[in-house]
Amino acid sequence: MSNVIEIKPMTRVEGYGSVRLYLSGKRVERVELALFDSPRLFEALVSGKPYAELPEIICRICSLCSTVHRVTALAAIEQAFGVKISEQTRLFRELALCGGHIQSHALHLFCLVLPDLLDVGGFPGLAQKAPELLLRGMRIKSAGNLIQETVGGRLIHPVTLIPGGMGKPVSRDGLRQLKEALTAVLDEAVASCDLFTIAPNSSGRQPIYMAVEGGRISPAGSGQIQLSGAPLLSTAEYRHWLREEVVSHSFAKSSTVNGKVVTVGALARLNSNAVLAPKAAQQYSANKEQLAGAGITANSLAQSVELVHAVEHAIGLIGILVGMELVREEPALINPHKSEGTAAIEAPRGTLIHSYSFDEQGHCIAADVVTPTAINQAAMEFDLFTLARSMEAADEADLRQELEKRVRAYDPCISCAVHLVRLQGSSA
Amino acid sequence: MKKPVLAVAGLTMCSGCQLTLLNCEAELPKIAGCFEFAWFPMGISDINACGPIDVALVEGAVSTPEDLEILTLLRSRSRLLVAYGTCARWGGIAAMKNHESREPLLEQVYGTTSKQMTSFPPAPLHRFVPVDFSITGCPPEKGELLKTLGAILHGTLPVFPVYPVCTECRNRESLCLLIERNELCLGPIIQAGCNARCPAVGIKCEGCRGPVEEANVGAEIDLLIEKGFSCEEIISRMQRFCPEWNLEQRN
Repeated sequence: MSNVIEIKPMTRVEGYGSVRLYLSGKRVERVELALFDSPRLFEALVSGKPYAELPEIICRICSLCSTVHRVTALAAIEQAFGVKISEQTRLFRELALCGGHIQSHALHLFCLVLPDLLDVGGFPGLAQKAPELLLRGMRIKSAGNLIQETVGGRLIHPVTLIPGGMGKPVSRDGLRQLKEALTAVLDEAVASCDLFTIAPNSSGRQPIYMAVEGGRISPAGSGQIQLSGAPLLSTAEYRHWLREEVVSHSFAKSSTVNGKVVTVGALARLNSNAVLAPKAAQQYSANKEQLAGAGITANSLAQSVELVHAVEHAIGLIGILVGMELVREEPALINPHKSEGTAAIEAPRGTLIHSYSFDEQGHCIAADVVTPTAINQAAMEFDLFTLARSMEAADEADLRQELEKRVRAYDPCISCAVHLVRLQGSSA
Repeated sequence: MKKPVLAVAGLTMCSGCQLTLLNCEAELPKIAGCFEFAWFPMGISDINACGPIDVALVEGAVSTPEDLEILTLLRSRSRLLVAYGTCARWGGIAAMKNHESREPLLEQVYGTTSKQMTSFPPAPLHRFVPVDFSITGCPPEKGELLKTLGAILHGTLPVFPVYPVCTECRNRESLCLLIERNELCLGPIIQAGCNARCPAVGIKCEGCRGPVEEANVGAEIDLLIEKGFSCEEIISRMQRFCPEWNLEQRN
């Protein structure tokens, strides 16, 4: 006898997905994680478009990650055409990335994960049961969003970040307001780490972590990818070591790295020698036992440490920027030619890779985007299977709840995963 | 008074419109208190879409049978259906190549597995069901969402501007990128409401809010051709968020 338990749709995750558990009697035979946001065919949409349009179109893959998609696209384009950006532009892009991490981590921690910890269904439940915690999370989140709006010109799908430069720089007054907003939430971010702490050795199997070298959150695409216990991998050669497969039950592809199932995200970065700002480093030390070599259920705690880091780091960047003569610069002159560029940047949810090929006029002839959630899909399925097997005696309602929580721990972004990647010419 | 029952759903989308609701950080606790949520999987787990719904905010275009199923279900249960965001209102970013055949686009991305997929050209909600109201924008403006929610609490709907982005841009006295810098700015033909935020930071209007009513489309195209842009380029830019324009329209 066989039957199927289906969780559809998964809630409190970005996008539309489901988990299907195939049972034979009580025995779990198979688990399928289906990510089925309706496909939007981004790689086909950008094909034929001039390079300058790519960042504007491609950032629409996902709202939560729009800043990092845009910055990664810029890094790949600039690498393709050998463009150098100014220090001012680089700093503003890095600040925008910090804003993205703050808003994304705060949203996940306070709106999507915290309800599980307080046993409520979502933010309306939090508003009743723990209004102060919800407000605290919202204050931290809004500081991240203020960065995105001030630096990027818009909360979602930032507009000022363009190939070779940026639009109007933020005024000194704007920077001062940002610094005030960030300073006001720094202590609250530090205090929040305690909310997401877990018992030591409770986080399950140690995954193979993957992150850009040093787990850095930087707008300059990293040339090297770090895998725990393995030699560095070259970003430019990612097609050789990253294998993506179309799976029949999902609109997202499943990835493996040199045949291994890997995990990306905040926890992977902290386990890749990430250099943290002072208060974040303190929090890391205080929770080291729970974080070093930990399994994915420690990811929320890792995000809360990174949240502190992103706030501190953003304050530091603003400190550098206010000391500079901020002028409206003309973007670097770009001479398009037949070329290709690949960039890897740490998005809030993990390593993000963009790769583009251009013709002589700088029109895009091939595009490939590998997202953190697509990379994590294999690990998620493996983890869900192990969890379901360990809970075969459990009540179905409990099982459903635990499976959803486990998916949530990865902070999946289904819009991102389902942009579906296929390179022209390699679509066999 | 009974709290209005809201449903918030996404079809073919990036979740940006739903995120805009969660980005109302200061107002979120109040929103939680003023409305009952019957459906909002992105934000809430204990939901139940079985009863009547007062207002459904639907993000995204319709491009799969599943999208259509969710849309018709929400339509049948809801008193008001709101097309929430540019994709729901105009088709949006995923519809930009609707003038090309769908199969090769699918195959380009999914290879041979595309044959098993059912996906049709993304279309706005009003192609399939009656739509009562819309909030445009990619992403929508927080202010317009909050005005809509506030009006719903008072049993009405807000009135949004019916003039182009250009008007707001002139009011802000931003540099005119179209005339002064010869850039392909779509401000003259795009629905206002964003307070011309892009030109204010020195970036041309990309048209993310869709056509303004009575847009002088013909004159904009004439002007851009005069400035040396090709017809193909102009139309491709206009179609980024809205695949169907009346290119002849003049006022």
